[in-house]
Amino acid sequence: MGILDYFKPVSTWPPDRVRQFLDQKSPQEYNLVDVRTPKEYEQEHLPGARLIPVGELETRWKELDRNKPTITY
Amino acid sequence: MEGGIRAWKGLRAAGAPDAGMAYFEPGKKPEEMIALAWMLEEGSCKFYKEMGIREKSPEAVALFQGLWGDEEKHKSSLFEIYQRLSGKDSDPDFPRSLVALESGDDFLEGGIGLKKALEWSRGKDLKDILEFSISLEVNAIDLYIKMEREVEGKPPKEIFLALSNQERNHLKRLSAALEKD
Repeated sequence: MGILDYFKPVSTWPPDRVRQFLDQKSPQEYNLVDVRTPKEYEQEHLPGARLIPVGELETRWKELDRNKPTITY
Repeated sequence: MEGGIRAWKGLRAAGAPDAGMAYFEPGKKPEEMIALAWMLEEGSCKFYKEMGIREKSPEAVALFQGLWGDEEKHKSSLFEIYQRLSGKDSDPDFPRSLVALESGDDFLEGGIGLKKALEWSRGKDLKDILEFSISLEVNAIDLYIKMEREVEGKPPKEIFLALSNQERNHLKRLSAALEKD
């Protein structure tokens, strides 16, 4: 096997699709997660986004509702 | 979301090339997983070494040199486990005999070509490099968690667990540097 055979693409959404999704849904219908640093989050973030820095995801993922789609950036 | 908040604002994303791949579990023997992990560590070593040379601030140089040194130690740990499992004291064909490297380029976590990553990194500021390095470490943690789950036998399980913990530490160091930058 070649080295790239061990990897597969992770599906991502372009910003326009995310924008459309957020416009069509109420904030109660999804998890929107900002995985950057607290400083970056304080500077700016998408409306309604919850801050969970990437290094804390492993321990804090239970804060998210698994029954709802989750968008991260 | 592709490109993160910069793309959301209509700016050109500064994300690294091909940063959208993840290791999956093809169910292979331990020696093969060890070889794959070793090769990805090798790619990370070369990337961090180059960043350690290129960066100007003493803090950034120390950070990348430290990461480079750690990844070198990870390679040694992986090779020791390979020796134990294979019963070979030396193996000049390791790791290529187990995992082919078709293009000749080294690869980083997430299946990103080293050459492409280094080209992308030219002219980027420290913040971009740190963000990219964080994505590498997240992929490394993901890789080692999956490998630990899949592999059979105590020695390789222990090494993958230890490596995932050490990559978590790298993630903390890089996140702290990004927060400070």
